[in-house]
Amino acid sequence: MIEREQITRKKLPKGRSLWQDGLRRLRRRKLVMVCFAVIVLYFLLAGFIYLAELFDWKVGPTRWQEEVSESYEPPSRKCIFGTDIFGQSVFRKTLYGTKISITVALCASFISLAIGVPLGAIAGFFRGFVDEIIVWIYSTLSSIPYILLILAFAVVLRDKTLFGYKLTGITTVYLAIGLTSWVGICRLIRGEVMKHKEREYVLAARSYGCSNSRIIFKHLIPNVFHLVIIDFSLRFVGFIHAEVILSFLGLGEAERPSWGAMINDARIELSRGVWWQMAAATIAIFLISLTLNIFGDALRDSLDPKLRVQ
Amino acid sequence: MDDNNILLSLEDVSTYFFTEEGVAKAVQGVSFSIKKGRMFALVGESGCGKSVTALSIMRLVPAPQGKIVSGEIFLGKRDLLQLSVKRMRAIRGNKIAMIFQEPMTSLNPVYTVGNQIVEAIRLHQRKSASQAWADAIEMLRKAGISDPEQRVREYPHQMSGGMRQRVMIAMAISCRPTLLIADEPTTALDVTIQAQILDLLGELQEQSEMSILLITHDLGVVTERADDVAVMYASRIVEVADSRKIFAEPLHPYTQGLLKSLPQLGYSAKRLLTIPGTVPEPLHFPTGCKFHPRCPIGCSDKRCQTIEPPMRAVQPERRVACWYAPGYETNEEYKEYESKYGKHKRVSTEG
Repeated sequence: MIEREQITRKKLPKGRSLWQDGLRRLRRRKLVMVCFAVIVLYFLLAGFIYLAELFDWKVGPTRWQEEVSESYEPPSRKCIFGTDIFGQSVFRKTLYGTKISITVALCASFISLAIGVPLGAIAGFFRGFVDEIIVWIYSTLSSIPYILLILAFAVVLRDKTLFGYKLTGITTVYLAIGLTSWVGICRLIRGEVMKHKEREYVLAARSYGCSNSRIIFKHLIPNVFHLVIIDFSLRFVGFIHAEVILSFLGLGEAERPSWGAMINDARIELSRGVWWQMAAATIAIFLISLTLNIFGDALRDSLDPKLRVQ
Repeated sequence: MDDNNILLSLEDVSTYFFTEEGVAKAVQGVSFSIKKGRMFALVGESGCGKSVTALSIMRLVPAPQGKIVSGEIFLGKRDLLQLSVKRMRAIRGNKIAMIFQEPMTSLNPVYTVGNQIVEAIRLHQRKSASQAWADAIEMLRKAGISDPEQRVREYPHQMSGGMRQRVMIAMAISCRPTLLIADEPTTALDVTIQAQILDLLGELQEQSEMSILLITHDLGVVTERADDVAVMYASRIVEVADSRKIFAEPLHPYTQGLLKSLPQLGYSAKRLLTIPGTVPEPLHFPTGCKFHPRCPIGCSDKRCQTIEPPMRAVQPERRVACWYAPGYETNEEYKEYESKYGKHKRVSTEG
């Protein structure tokens, strides 16, 4: 590095990127920060359960299989959400379900982003024939009712082997969700890239010798990436719901408790007045949906300059 | 002409845009050459094809509508139009660099200016990151940015238009190009900054012996700084000459009109002289000489209305495309016309 000159005058304020600027704005809003804390809690819980399973720690959520009491014990001080038909603690099952939901939603998000973002960017950048093919694929996909499509994928993928890896339970679920839900982000990125590629900085980048792929991945995608983050946070809820729906329809995880499976069980139980399993799963879903939605909206407000109202 | 002295030469370059309404001939048969270490100015109204000419040199004409349909562009002995995409990329930024009209939008908002200069450097030179950063700071200093160690870490939105243009210049000179294309570099800036930026370009040119292709519509800029001038009108170059000669004695009626319409110090006219009419659209160019509907001679001259005069030398180092330019009658086309149609009756050139 070049030797720094002695700067006598007052230092200029340090440069802030659009990101830092947006996050600073976000940090000022209390409710959003509370929501963020709740979301982090969910993620930490999921991560903790992973670790606990890995190292065989005997803690609450990993001991969900134990019979703690009679079956259908109503909520009490000993057992917050009562027990299910096997006498297993509903509270522990709910906690364990967090892991399943977060895993599914995260993996599905990454799959859909990994497909949607590059495809959208390529379609928007190159236009012409490539664009037409990509648009055709996603228009076709999006013309099929979502639930049907996801069900079809789940049924097809179930118990197949992929690269020598047997697809079971939640793997099927997140693959099915991920492979069907990239349309939205693809369309969004395509439009945004089409707009951005006309900007002069792209021409300038070309003029100093950038290749097409460099322009797409180094110049255009970083410029539209806030949309990816926003979309990710808003879509995450949808993925949790999709997992619940698939499990409810019996295509999800069968061996381990998940929120969808719990609601499925509760179908029969409700008529017998056993409401706690339903309530526990619903509260868990409700909390994460609400916080993610509020957080996602706030994130969009602070990262998307066009929507920014100040 | 001494060939060794020529850095870049365009031979009969035409660039068309194939639009839904038809073919827009943005640049037609443009030829000129830029000498080493000189500033070449390309002057013309907006929409006359100046920028497209520049983009043609860089081979950055917006595809798929735009296409360089014919011609040769020689950088040294290589024809740029024949190079592969990959080799052309190696030339962009390295041998030919470009700065643009809008400094406000020509920097990527998500990177610091240092990041962008470093990217430009490392695309063409094998340098470690820290060395490239040191280079970037050095280039910013050369481009006249105060406190470059600080500024290099800033984002474009923290800078003013003039500073951003300096950053663009720093980026452009970072690989020591032999040709710098400046596409209206001062149009978006205010007058004092304009002068500073142009002075900076002049200084850099003297230091590094690079040539500059200055694209502008500001004749004032040209008189002061350029060595050679080409005047462009409606997709064609109408006159090329040494800048002193062109201002002392413009040969083409369009150049004459442009010079007459400049305000002059110490001379107060109520209204400036104007050239009547408007620039023709590239989709509907007039027949014959494209300037004839607005030309004091051409508007009533049969030959101007039907046959387009080609660019021909009228004096050493001076070329013009006008049937009525003094000295033009020695050309083959002129003689050929006269042999076909008989002696052409000249319209009075008064007025």
